[in-house]
Amino acid sequence: METQTIAAKRDEIATPARRAFPYHVLEKPGDNLVDRFLEAFAWVLEYTDYKPLLDSYCRSTAKCNRCAVACPILLASGDPRDIPCYRTNLLLDTYRRYFTMGGWVKARFTTPFELTEELLYEMGDVFYRCTVCRRCTRSCPLGFDHGLITRLGRYLLSLVGIVPKALQVSVQEQLEGETHNTSKVSRAGLLDVLSFLSEEMEESLGVKLDFPTDETDRDYVFFCAVSDYLMEPDTLMGNAAVLYAAGDWDRWTIGLCNYDGINYGLFYSDWHLEQIIKRLVAEVDRLKGRSVLIGECGHASRAAHDFIPTFMGQRAPPVRNFMEYTLDCLRAGKISLDPDVVTERVTYHDPCNLARSGWIVDQPREILRSFCRDYVDMTPKGADNYCCGGGGGLVSIDELHDFRMEIAGKVKAEQIARTGADIVVAPCANCKKQLKELVEHYEIPCTVVGLHDLVLRAIEIPGGKSPVERRAEAALFAI
Amino acid sequence: MTIDRWIEFAKGPLFAVTFMVMVLGLGRQVLLQFYFLGVKKGRRLRNVHWKQVARETSSWVVPVRHMEPGTGLFSVASYLMHVGVLLVPLFLVDHIALWNAFLGLHLPAIGEGTADALTLLTISCAILLLVMRLLRSRHRLVSRPADYLLLMAVLLPFLSGYLASHPSVNPCPWNVMMLTHLLSAELLFVLMPFTKLAHVVLFFFDRISVVHWQLRPGAGDRVAEALYRKEVGAR
Repeated sequence: METQTIAAKRDEIATPARRAFPYHVLEKPGDNLVDRFLEAFAWVLEYTDYKPLLDSYCRSTAKCNRCAVACPILLASGDPRDIPCYRTNLLLDTYRRYFTMGGWVKARFTTPFELTEELLYEMGDVFYRCTVCRRCTRSCPLGFDHGLITRLGRYLLSLVGIVPKALQVSVQEQLEGETHNTSKVSRAGLLDVLSFLSEEMEESLGVKLDFPTDETDRDYVFFCAVSDYLMEPDTLMGNAAVLYAAGDWDRWTIGLCNYDGINYGLFYSDWHLEQIIKRLVAEVDRLKGRSVLIGECGHASRAAHDFIPTFMGQRAPPVRNFMEYTLDCLRAGKISLDPDVVTERVTYHDPCNLARSGWIVDQPREILRSFCRDYVDMTPKGADNYCCGGGGGLVSIDELHDFRMEIAGKVKAEQIARTGADIVVAPCANCKKQLKELVEHYEIPCTVVGLHDLVLRAIEIPGGKSPVERRAEAALFAI
Repeated sequence: MTIDRWIEFAKGPLFAVTFMVMVLGLGRQVLLQFYFLGVKKGRRLRNVHWKQVARETSSWVVPVRHMEPGTGLFSVASYLMHVGVLLVPLFLVDHIALWNAFLGLHLPAIGEGTADALTLLTISCAILLLVMRLLRSRHRLVSRPADYLLLMAVLLPFLSGYLASHPSVNPCPWNVMMLTHLLSAELLFVLMPFTKLAHVVLFFFDRISVVHWQLRPGAGDRVAEALYRKEVGAR
């Protein structure tokens, strides 16, 4: 009876009109979609550790609906399909019906819940309406990780060929392509960029620095979102400036066989997640590096920080985010930041992948407060922050642009506007791209930068130009 | 059998049996989860920041900091109901004798006035939660009939217990109400391991999702291999 009721409700929602993914997939899902999905599900249950999680969630899902007020997407869309618990139960009902004794028994005596193609299309839609920010997990009294279930749903869908083309193409290039990175930056291209950055730094900072590439036996092997090499020169120069000013220029290197920290496997596939992690560690091993230093990228940091120990066990090199390194340098007095250079109002956006677990919340604030005169926080902030609206890989899916602007990022845009900030600091490649589009879309008068873009403006460079001098030059250049 | 003899039966053997069903059923859930944690996750458990998990879990004992706009009424009602559901069955004077007889436990008693107040609070909160579940469309969407029925099943022993101990408001004979009270409580015992009421123990395991992010190395490979091998075979 009960499954019938909820299935009937879903029929109303999953109308045939919705039978299309809002994103491109490489191949049209073929025949026997339901059977293939269930087979993939069965293999996943066989070989992975998800079964006890699903058992526990299936048994105790209370459906209290508290998560409904936590989700920024639901707040903006009002669409009941965006209720985290509803989305999670799409998968839990499938599991309960086809993979538990209770489901089997119930199916013998009642009209059972049926997994249909319509429902799979519904999953394909709703699992990619979620940014996997996991804010709802913090408001669930039982601590249900709806993000983990969404990710599992995406993984299962990917096994039957339903995965956004944007993510799949990038990951294929990273694992099998010539350049082995998501943005197709060739090795020659990377060296060009580094030499350009070197010239830029000589001109603006007044010191000649050659970026260390493929150096062995270094303390830090640096990985950032590879797109930063194309789009975020200031962030990278900020990173380099800190390493130089702290006297650590001889302690780091960029590997030339793998220089991409991006790991879209975190968003949709256990297999890809593991392969990309292994490639990253292989590069560190090749260079005999002692630790991994991840640039300003939320998901790359979390993927490396959380999953290198998971997949590599005792062979795992330590992982640090660059902001942790910068804060250490600041606290140890190895770098100093001029408090008179950044006078605009600054606010900080917490990338979900850094802040939700409480890992990096206070560190960037301590850095910013040390040199920004007018720093304001957003509300809510830290582990309770709102997602930028581009998390979970959504920012890379161009077809979802309107959804990201009108719905997923709406709450964030309002939050930014309320601070009245001139500068929004977002230390994450994904968040930065989304927020830049967002402030333009909502015409909010502010700029979006990385944390090290600001550090670059304020850092004292030994033997180089002073921050005030640099500011004067920049002002002249602007005229 | 007369109603009084039914009461004796419900207080005696039936109580023992249903209580054992609850203990064994919940125990099975706990053991399975521990087995999974120990055997399957093994060394990867070391990657988990257990202090943080404990801190986060204990923050729900008094969940003031988890209040968000829009959750006020529901959260308060739900919290108070849980307080009543945990305290009254354990510490009510009349129940203490039962625990003593069956388990040899000497629990402290709460005053009758407090127990009455807690019972009434639990009843009103449960009714409020039921009404909210019925009236709010988003809540209805995620609810199954079991979600309504279980709430009523929780409500019943409290309602019948209160009426049985307050003859002035009890419309039925005392023994009928008492039997209702006993049987409904025992129904809860039996339902507990097999329904979402199991969250009384699974709560602690649901909250460790950070453990489940510790994926199994090589599992993705094996899944891909299994699916790919079959595809090749089919060709």
